[in-house]
Amino acid sequence: MRPFAYTKVETLAEAVDALAAAGPQARLLAGGTTLYDLMKLEIETPSAVVDVHRVADLAGFDTSGDRELVFGAGARMADVAEDGRLRRDYPALSESLWRAASQQLRNMATLGGNLLQRTRCPYFRGGEPFACNKRSPGSGCAAQEGLDRSNALFGGSEACIAVYPGDWATALVAFDAEVDVHGPGGARSLPLARLHREPGDTPQHEHNLAPGEIITRVRVPVTPAGRGSAYLKIRDRESYAFALVSAAVALTLDGDGRVDECRIAVGGVATRPWRVPAAEQALRGNAITEASARAAGEAAFTGARPGRANAFKIELGTRTVADAVRLAGSRAVG
Amino acid sequence: MSPEPQDTQPVDTRRVDAREKVTGAALYATDLHPDQLAHATLATATIGRGRIAELDVSAAAAVPGVLLVLSHLDHLDLQSPGFVMGGGYGVQSLQPLLDDRIAYRGQAIALVVAETLTAATEAANLVRARYETEPFAATLDSPGVERLSQPATIPLPFLADLDVGDAESAYATAALHVDATYDQPAQHQNPMELIGATVSWRGDTLVVHEGTQNAGAIRHGLAQQLGIDAANVEVISPYTGGGFGQKNSLQIHIGPLALAARRLGRPVKLVVSRAQLFHHTSFRPASRHRIRLGADEHGRMVAAIHEVEHQTSRHDLFPLMYTEITSRLYGIRDFRGRQTFARMDTQSPGFMRAPFEHPAAFAFESAVDELAYAAHRDPLEFRLANDTTVDPVSGEPFSSRHLAQCLRRGAKRFGWSARQQRPASMRAEDGSLVGWGVAVGAYPASIVPSAAHLVAGADGRIRVEVDGHEMGQGIRSTIAILVAENLGIGVHDVDIVVGDTRVATQHLTAGSWGTASTLGAVHAALRALREQLGMDTRGPVDVASAVRATGRDQVEARAETLGPGQTEQDAEHARKGLPTLSGPEFPGYSTFSWIAHFVEVRVEPTTCRIRVPRVVSVADCGRVASPVTAASQVRGGIVWGIGASLREAGAVDPRYGGFLNNSLEEYPVPVNADIGTLDVDFIGEPDLRFHPVGVKGLGEVSMVGVAAAVANAVFHATGVRHRRLPIRIEDVLAGTTA
Ligand SMILES: Cc1cc2nc3c(=O)[nH]c(=O)nc-3n(C[C@H](O)[C@H](O)[C@H](O)COP(=O)(O)OP(=O)(O)OC[C@H]3O[C@@H](n4cnc5c(N)ncnc54)[C@H](O)[C@@H]3O)c2cc1C
Ligand code: SF4
Repeated sequence: MRPFAYTKVETLAEAVDALAAAGPQARLLAGGTTLYDLMKLEIETPSAVVDVHRVADLAGFDTSGDRELVFGAGARMADVAEDGRLRRDYPALSESLWRAASQQLRNMATLGGNLLQRTRCPYFRGGEPFACNKRSPGSGCAAQEGLDRSNALFGGSEACIAVYPGDWATALVAFDAEVDVHGPGGARSLPLARLHREPGDTPQHEHNLAPGEIITRVRVPVTPAGRGSAYLKIRDRESYAFALVSAAVALTLDGDGRVDECRIAVGGVATRPWRVPAAEQALRGNAITEASARAAGEAAFTGARPGRANAFKIELGTRTVADAVRLAGSRAVG
Repeated sequence: MSPEPQDTQPVDTRRVDAREKVTGAALYATDLHPDQLAHATLATATIGRGRIAELDVSAAAAVPGVLLVLSHLDHLDLQSPGFVMGGGYGVQSLQPLLDDRIAYRGQAIALVVAETLTAATEAANLVRARYETEPFAATLDSPGVERLSQPATIPLPFLADLDVGDAESAYATAALHVDATYDQPAQHQNPMELIGATVSWRGDTLVVHEGTQNAGAIRHGLAQQLGIDAANVEVISPYTGGGFGQKNSLQIHIGPLALAARRLGRPVKLVVSRAQLFHHTSFRPASRHRIRLGADEHGRMVAAIHEVEHQTSRHDLFPLMYTEITSRLYGIRDFRGRQTFARMDTQSPGFMRAPFEHPAAFAFESAVDELAYAAHRDPLEFRLANDTTVDPVSGEPFSSRHLAQCLRRGAKRFGWSARQQRPASMRAEDGSLVGWGVAVGAYPASIVPSAAHLVAGADGRIRVEVDGHEMGQGIRSTIAILVAENLGIGVHDVDIVVGDTRVATQHLTAGSWGTASTLGAVHAALRALREQLGMDTRGPVDVASAVRATGRDQVEARAETLGPGQTEQDAEHARKGLPTLSGPEFPGYSTFSWIAHFVEVRVEPTTCRIRVPRVVSVADCGRVASPVTAASQVRGGIVWGIGASLREAGAVDPRYGGFLNNSLEEYPVPVNADIGTLDVDFIGEPDLRFHPVGVKGLGEVSMVGVAAAVANAVFHATGVRHRRLPIRIEDVLAGTTA
């Protein structure tokens, strides 16, 4: 770990100022469960760290609104996961949080930090001697000819195939969430779907925030599809593991039991939160059957570009989506 | 359990040091913060093999607070400790930091010592090396692996090929055959307590605190490395936070730490990071087993051929002892075993819980299951029909073998009779495929030279100083229970000192011989103590008045014990810190511990997740010396078996060498949510032919066979046989249709 300047701030305004003053090498610190980890590995070497975990403007969340749910970027994963209303009315959102990481990590980690967590690609985290364009631009990508079981089937480039690993953003993208940010230039909002970037030629640039911008809130439009939602996560062990594949599904059924509103996203397989409109389209207007659920799963994985050790995720992902569709459907009914 | 006749008082069988452990009062080696403590870290090599062409430590040395950077440039006055399985003391013979050779990725290239851990860590990352690289091999399938027949390379009797009868001919003429190859990946122990030491000098005496299973090897190994008298080395290890074989010899950092502490005149501490642990010390080598089994038309197994190779380093030959148990599991008359080294560019592998027996039983007991199915026989009944009471290798009887009873009792507890033989024929209400599998395990019994020193005080307390280590298995409880039962006192009236070279020779505690060996010595010392106190050989003793009656403040008794058939020469060997094993073949009999495991798996029909809702295990470990810690041992062994069969593998990228998944996040040991009901039972028959108190070993055998039982259950659930561990989602998925 390298020496760095540490500032603790109490308000959003102070945070914006401190970040601007500290320059481009500064990092915001929330729960620290990603940032400190990467600093210890010397993959993140910020010159300054601005600690926002006490900033009241970022804390708290409100799931009672009749137009939208509002989540402060500083709210803790554990608190939000346990919210009764969220569990009842938006099970997919709650499940995406409590199936992530471990209880200890969820107690520390914040929703904003969660959105900007970085990839778990082993060659990225492993440091020297592994070639990695994300960590060290231009050095190559060790994953492409290597152990790529955890790498992406969607959204990759010649430069990088690292998976965006977060569960929460995968669920949020299905719900058309909006992200509010605050920076030196004031406040603005952007769709969560546009927060993260695909690697392209510059995998080191992972998101579309301007320098000095802070995520303040995440807003989710209220939808009846929340009740009929599920987040299914398949992983190597039953807790404390990232997704091999995950699926977020939210839907409503019409009077004839046909899918009306339909939202589907997949995780663990793409370089950014990955909504799958083709799967939604395949399902919309159909009753939920083995066949229609499977068709949605197949549509979700059409166009997948597997590598050496992750091709099994096409079939696994197809089935995961199908299972999530059936589970969401059963919740939508009753 | 059947207690000895003198066991009159019911004693408290809970762990005697549980409170210290859960409250943090128990201080482990690297919990110490002596005055003036300096902190060390390691810089490590990034190439698979080659040499350091240039090493630049200037930036590291310039970090504020850095006190010392040691590397091969310093021409350290340090000898190799030798390999613990090659007549030496070290986890490997190669002592890093002595020259410019790099034998494996992750090898230490510099030791940095600083005022703070932060400075040391920062500085270690600033050590820069330029390398000349050489081709290397890192997996069993890599080009450049050198294969050597074990008996041709190390002509020692216990490493010889096994040839009982004529297995090739018997196999050729058998009615039914299985011929299959099974793969076991490299695995890493990952004890909670990281490897590390706090090292200081008191005058000419070197004082080492390190969590270890082998304080004796550290003592004598350091003496050899530093060229000093072993009498001037003290090793203190009251607690070890999990060893599992990884802490069974002198680690490579202690010698350099001793030099650093001497130069600085300060105590120095090093805690090896979790990420570095995967390359710093030993691990379970990858192994490959070809098993050929033949049975006659009645389903009697008549021939077995077990050919196995496993990885070892270029610098050491870690021996193979896989066929020792596979030749004893059944009454197979004709057996042939062949064992081959596969040398490659890694640190030396070593002993990890049930080091040979777990992979061997996975392979062999999977093959037995395949043969049972080929014979259209129930796998439980097939095993029972092939039982034996005689050691087929030596021709002598087993001193005790209650394996059939383990199988029968386990089957009853499990409800095996409701099993349907046909694979993929049982389903749970939720549609999951249900599979029931069985497998057995064995582990050789051994006793090593041991010693105990008892001090009875006028306050009625007994102090016990022994040759033995506490590494979580609960040796303190076992000793306390024995003493308390014997004298009729409370377990908390017994003070116990373990893992301390100042009070006794500290032989390696491993291989499940710890309890039998240490208890043997304590038992003998108790007899001597009773004599000293003028008491009968049995019955409760009022210690305080008995001591006072002698007119002294305290009464002492000592005992040194040996394994059956061992001599004073063995005792002398052990005093030098060298492993001195007896068994499992003793004059007139052979001794093994036995176990049977019954496993239920459920395989999700769609996404193919494998879950293990319940396991029933019944062990024959002789007398159960401490019921609470014994049951914990078995539960822990089962969890290891589940991890080994479904989760754990060291991932190797052959382009880089070393292990890629070097964290607890990426190396997936099971979590609580992965574990269902573990139902453990014991036969509890003391083996008094083998041991004065009747105990055999338990810690190791508890894991043996679990992986096979899981794999057999997965076969029963799905109809697909998996011969490579771990069995992961993609493996099962590949065998199913949409
Ligand atoms: C072992 C392990 C297992 C895990 N498993 C999972 C899992 O299964 N699923 C999953 O989804 N996650 C998992 N995680 C990731 C975990 O959820 C994230 O580390 C956590 O959510 C990050 O939140 P934090 O508050 O600790 O962020 P920090 O570490 O404080 O920050 C993370 C990043 O976000 C930036 N940041 C923080 N807050 C803001 C803000 N308000 N505006 C702008 N930038 C900000 C920081 O500058 C930093 O770059 C795991 C983590 C670990 C260590
Ligand atoms: S996939 Fe991306 S993160 Fe992983 S090694 Fe390649 S460039 Fe680095």
